[in-house]
Amino acid sequence: MRGLINKINGLGFVKFLIYGFFILFLIIPLLSVFLVSFTNEPINLFGSLVSVDQFQRTVEQFKNATLENYKSIFSYGHYFTGLKNSLYLSFIVSILVLLLCMPIAYGIARTKMPFKKTISALCTIPLIFPTFISAYAFIIMFGRAGWVTYIYQQLGGEGMLIDPYSMTGIALVQVFFFFPYALWPMVAAFKVSDVSLEEASRNMGSKGWLTFSTVTFPLALPGMLSTALVIFAVSFSDFGTPIILAPSDLNLIVVDAYREIAGFFNWGSAAILTVIMIAVAGFVYWLQNFLLKGRNYDTLSGKPKQVKLNENKALTVPLSIFSWFVVIIPLLTLATVFVQSIAKTWGLEPLPTGYTLDHYRTIFSSSLGNIQNSLLLAGGALVLSVVVASFVSYFVVRHRSTGLDFMTTVPLIVPGIAFGIALIQTFNTAPLHLTGTAFILIVAYSIRRLPYMVRSTVGTMRAIKQDIEEAAINLGASTLTAAITIIGPLMLPGIAAGSVLVFITVIKETSISVLMAPPDWAPMSLAIFQNVLRAEYYSAAAMSVILVAMVLVLQGLASLLSNRNKT
Amino acid sequence: MGSVELKQLKKDFSGVTVLQNIDLDIKEGEFFALLGPSGCGKTTTMRCIAGFETATSGTIEIGGKDVAKLSPNARNCGMVFQSYALFPHMNVFDNVAYSLNIKELKKNNLFKKFGVYTRMLNSKLVKYPKEIKEKVNNILEYVELSDHAYKLTSELSGGQQQRVALARALVMEPEVLLMDEPLSNLDLKLRHTMRNTIRRIQQELKITTIFVTHDQEEAMSMADRIAVMKDGEILQVGTPTDLYSNPKTPFIADFVGTSNIIPGTVVARENGLTTVRIGEQQMIKSATQTEQDDVKAIIRPENLTVIGEENESFDNTFEGEILFATYLGSTVRYDIEVEGHKLVVDTTYESGNQIRQEGSKIKLGVLPERVLLI
Ligand SMILES: Nc1ncnc2c1ncn2[C@@H]1O[C@H](COP(=O)(O)OP(=O)(O)O)[C@@H](O)[C@H]1O
Ligand SMILES: [Mg+2]
Repeated sequence: MRGLINKINGLGFVKFLIYGFFILFLIIPLLSVFLVSFTNEPINLFGSLVSVDQFQRTVEQFKNATLENYKSIFSYGHYFTGLKNSLYLSFIVSILVLLLCMPIAYGIARTKMPFKKTISALCTIPLIFPTFISAYAFIIMFGRAGWVTYIYQQLGGEGMLIDPYSMTGIALVQVFFFFPYALWPMVAAFKVSDVSLEEASRNMGSKGWLTFSTVTFPLALPGMLSTALVIFAVSFSDFGTPIILAPSDLNLIVVDAYREIAGFFNWGSAAILTVIMIAVAGFVYWLQNFLLKGRNYDTLSGKPKQVKLNENKALTVPLSIFSWFVVIIPLLTLATVFVQSIAKTWGLEPLPTGYTLDHYRTIFSSSLGNIQNSLLLAGGALVLSVVVASFVSYFVVRHRSTGLDFMTTVPLIVPGIAFGIALIQTFNTAPLHLTGTAFILIVAYSIRRLPYMVRSTVGTMRAIKQDIEEAAINLGASTLTAAITIIGPLMLPGIAAGSVLVFITVIKETSISVLMAPPDWAPMSLAIFQNVLRAEYYSAAAMSVILVAMVLVLQGLASLLSNRNKT
Repeated sequence: MGSVELKQLKKDFSGVTVLQNIDLDIKEGEFFALLGPSGCGKTTTMRCIAGFETATSGTIEIGGKDVAKLSPNARNCGMVFQSYALFPHMNVFDNVAYSLNIKELKKNNLFKKFGVYTRMLNSKLVKYPKEIKEKVNNILEYVELSDHAYKLTSELSGGQQQRVALARALVMEPEVLLMDEPLSNLDLKLRHTMRNTIRRIQQELKITTIFVTHDQEEAMSMADRIAVMKDGEILQVGTPTDLYSNPKTPFIADFVGTSNIIPGTVVARENGLTTVRIGEQQMIKSATQTEQDDVKAIIRPENLTVIGEENESFDNTFEGEILFATYLGSTVRYDIEVEGHKLVVDTTYESGNQIRQEGSKIKLGVLPERVLLI
């Protein structure tokens, strides 16, 4: 026994704990949701471990397991429509995003278009919004009483320019708020496309546009396809936009899944929808990796070649105008939310009737708790993910732990709603009745954002040479002491960068909050969401402005940090 | 401080043997060099001693005790890494004090432990006790770094970093000091001064030292004894003069200093001299007794004498043609061709002398006692 204890040193114990964490809060919930999709009623795996009765009940449930659910899905039922609509939406959104980004990416990577810097900066704006805020801002702009609708009607239009409560509305919100995810990879792809090949083509007398369509574009194509898949996955998993904008006759799988669990406690249907969502997202992820196999845009071109930037005004001016058109929409959305937050009333007129700070006053008197909750929950998730990510990256880099590497990629694939459903289902009863606690909420947030954190810490970890750690051990330190006193401090920059990202994304997080937050722990995102559902747009707007401001401040802090690290 | 003994050490990396039949007996206080070309297993040997690699078979004893069951942090071997492996986030003082902090950590209660941890993370928050301060300051003075104690290690020059690494290893009063090519990252001039510094410190502290290098000059000038390694095995162990004058294999003869290695066949053994035919006409006489018939004659360049007008009598004489003449300051090195063999000859150069022309004829002599047959 002593021997065993000696063998399991401090670090080994930590590894054991971390595996336990992932198995308990990630693997078992996913497994259990998979099982429920057959049994059609919730099963209590933990209970079966501690109680014989429960065990027998669970065995009984398995005996009654059926494929009914799967059959009904594929026999053209209600859910099948939901899946079809969701796939269609994601497909349309990824195509539109590609078309939208191509000129902008080319403009940024290869030309000296006017206002290039400003446009690049504005392209980050969409990322500070949780999508449900953008969705409801679209209502304020394009809805029946929206100012865009007003202008449209003044110009002689009938009805609305675009109905926000429609597939078109949802697609547009997603396009204008997800395009930055595609833009930067595409800029990178354009930058590394083999410039010498292009020059060869031009030397052979090819015209500019011909070079583009025969050389530049085909070379950038695989990168673009994989980018399209990223957008596809983001759009497919997005909960914020459809939950606000989907009309009752438009089924989308995320909304269906949410309703099954939040509205009807229909475990079996929720489970099957969850399984399908994960399957689709997993397939897209696999396809994307398959496309990118053996292709690394960072190292493709060995040494960076100096690209000659296109200065032809006939090309750059239209590119710039187009880019402005794209970035102006998120900017207008932001402005709209802000104006709404200080408006007395704002109906079908171009501008509000008067201005007031009352909405903010209301928030500071009655909703301070939500802000506090957001900060506490995000803080908790941050601490948890810092601890887990630091050790995970240590094990992944030093012990080449493929198991942990895998566990931290799983959350990338699982859509938020699916993960939430899995957790609720698993921790719904004794002995581990955690649903409705702040603890499980924090765990959910941190597991969901762990991939970002781990990516950041693994990078720094790889930069720490093994012999530095060996030196500490040689000087008498145990591996755990070396990890705390040497590796930890050296990983700090990576941890800081990851932390800000985790904090921001948790504050913005919608699906998990809406699904899992208990009333006394409601974060800002949930409060805004409920206000929007109750059509209390003014306080929703004020709270949104506060949320966006917090994100902006944090992002400023992050870039300040990373700049200081560079020098 | 202790002796180090390796018995029949063997190391495989996933089935590939990189070390075998390693037997070493390093005495207390000895400065011992492991010399060999890159990839021959020197680092692996050292890492086995330090405990970072587990030997496939064989035993390692430090100070007479088998260390197989001791984890690397309990072996008390001070190691100086090739890259120095200084802690980049700590200043010089904190780097050197690291092992002393660890010792504090081991003997204290939980509350004090917390204090020590805090100090290791930020030495501004918790003060060092007087004994640690004194020890570190002493050792820093010893390696002439007192003025740099509170600098970050990245602000130091290569030689200074090297001395921090040395001080950090020495302050824990290790049983053995292990140094893996410690001078290879320094420029030539600094390398020479550091050789002296390391040798001086080793002599003064009488610390058992194992020094890894691929530079024979470094090993010869510093070590009490040298083990020459090749392809994971030890070829010969001996003092520098031993190795130089009695290399056991042509590889050592060539690796330790420069040698003329001439293959030939024994044709006669008489009067304590062995006669070897090395060309159609050319014979060479050696004082070495050997049973073998196919031999290699080893002659050091400085033992070949140019026979000029002065009529010296040699048992061995050669006539050849000068291919190159290289002026090296105090010596001139000639590359000479004798009956298809290329020989190298070193002659002392005195100012005023003429350097012989390339292409001219030259006559050489060597004493049979200076011809080694292997
Ligand atoms: N961790 C390892 N895994 C596999 N092979 C190794 C490892 N470390 C060293 N080797 C191999 O062992 C041999 C000896 O390496 P090393 O001890 O570093 O040589 P040296 O220090 O003399 O240059 C080399 O062929 C090297 O490739
Ligand atoms: Mg080596």
